Amino acid sequence: MRLPDFQYIEPKSLEEACLFLKEHNHESKIMAGGTDLLPNMKQGIFKPKYVVNLCAIQNLDRFEFDEDRGLWLGALVRLRYLETDPIIFERYPMISQAAGEVGSVQLRQMGTIGGNLCLDTRCYYYNQSDFWRKCRPMCIKMGGEKCNAMGKGKKCFAVLSGDLAPALIALGAKIKLLSTRGERTLLLSELYTGDGAKPLAMEPDEILVGVEVPAIPKEAFNVYLKYRIRRSIDFPLASVAVMLIIDRKKKICHEAKVVIGAVSTKPEELKEIKELLKGKKLEGSLIEEASDLAFKAAKPIANAGSSPSYRKRIIKVFVEKALKQGMGESI
Amino acid sequence: MNEMVTLQINGEGYELSIAPKKTLLEVLREDIGLTGTKEVCDMGSCGACTVLLDGKPILSCLTLAVACKGKEITTIEGLKKGETLHPLQSSFIQRGAIQCGMCTPGMILSAKALLDEKPHPTEIEVRKAIAGNLCRCTGYVKIVEAILAVSRGE
Repeated sequence: MRLPDFQYIEPKSLEEACLFLKEHNHESKIMAGGTDLLPNMKQGIFKPKYVVNLCAIQNLDRFEFDEDRGLWLGALVRLRYLETDPIIFERYPMISQAAGEVGSVQLRQMGTIGGNLCLDTRCYYYNQSDFWRKCRPMCIKMGGEKCNAMGKGKKCFAVLSGDLAPALIALGAKIKLLSTRGERTLLLSELYTGDGAKPLAMEPDEILVGVEVPAIPKEAFNVYLKYRIRRSIDFPLASVAVMLIIDRKKKICHEAKVVIGAVSTKPEELKEIKELLKGKKLEGSLIEEASDLAFKAAKPIANAGSSPSYRKRIIKVFVEKALKQGMGESI
Repeated sequence: MNEMVTLQINGEGYELSIAPKKTLLEVLREDIGLTGTKEVCDMGSCGACTVLLDGKPILSCLTLAVACKGKEITTIEGLKKGETLHPLQSSFIQRGAIQCGMCTPGMILSAKALLDEKPHPTEIEVRKAIAGNLCRCTGYVKIVEAILAVSRGE
């Protein structure tokens, strides 16, 4: 498959990039690692006039850790770096795990945190070649009237399949967006619209420049669990990110953040589990109740691998596993 | 419109006029004639097109050639010194780790990147390092053995 023709733009500064995108926002696509954009362009899903490569901009891959302020991760920090950095491994193991589960070594070497957070939503009926897609009516994500995965309906169910999003949402991360209109900061959870056809609450001329992850107590437990059929390359079919602040001696949970991913058009933070577990002793029946809530909240449809019912059940199993692991049980 | 780029490949500079839409894989195979790097899925799912960029394994099918200015590219052709094969190449041949050969260049470069970073990996570490390189022929057993043998200096 060959890429379509485009003009290649390599801005040397954020200012240059923002000005260019303001001028050409509807005809441009931003590129960092290229591992999401280029396959989609090869399949004829996008044919932008301009491809804007951010990799020549200095300092967009800055990494900083401070005990009180937490982490700053520039948008161009490679996933391979997040996987292997000893500070992240020790203090935010969930980020290491989530980054380390993405794709393969090569994809993690090329892929960036910014790109992974801005991953386009995916669907079996959308992420196919021009030739394949022409055999069916244009779906909602392509600008048509019907969802091909559901066979009906006015809503797009394409899945948000990024691995880092659930993990960073569970850690309370914020993102910084930049454009010629200035900078704005929002909670990462606010980036995701829940609309499979237009998944990101970003203007076409905005650039994600970095992620702030707040400091968490040293004893906070955090884990990311990913289900996929093969142990490499594949996107998640269901994923769970859990952050717990617990008193392990008394077995009391002070705070619980449970985020489920890859079973909907956006990662879902399960606030009902947070309420259920706050201040309570984390034991068998309560863990069962929490995992049941997660099972009910997961609403996958048949537009990715495995089956929707299996993916729902895996969400329940993973939440149970993560909570038990948080309590120090080996599973 | 074409761009003038100089690509550093296997220690040599190649001055080329290329369209931005050409991937590094296409340029290696079609413009320069280094056909050791293979095109298989062309989508980032198989690893056959793996080359080293500044020593790190990347997928050349998802890399724009014009974005590789100032980087050191290593392809499978760059591994042998004169007429002497790289230890990984010899080990793969000796241990039957090659059948059709399509995955082999990418596989060897991923292995080289691992051994350059970690000269004595465990078996799990080897398997994780090559997890992005699919092989439909061998079942991976001989490949893993060949890499571990090199790590042991055999």
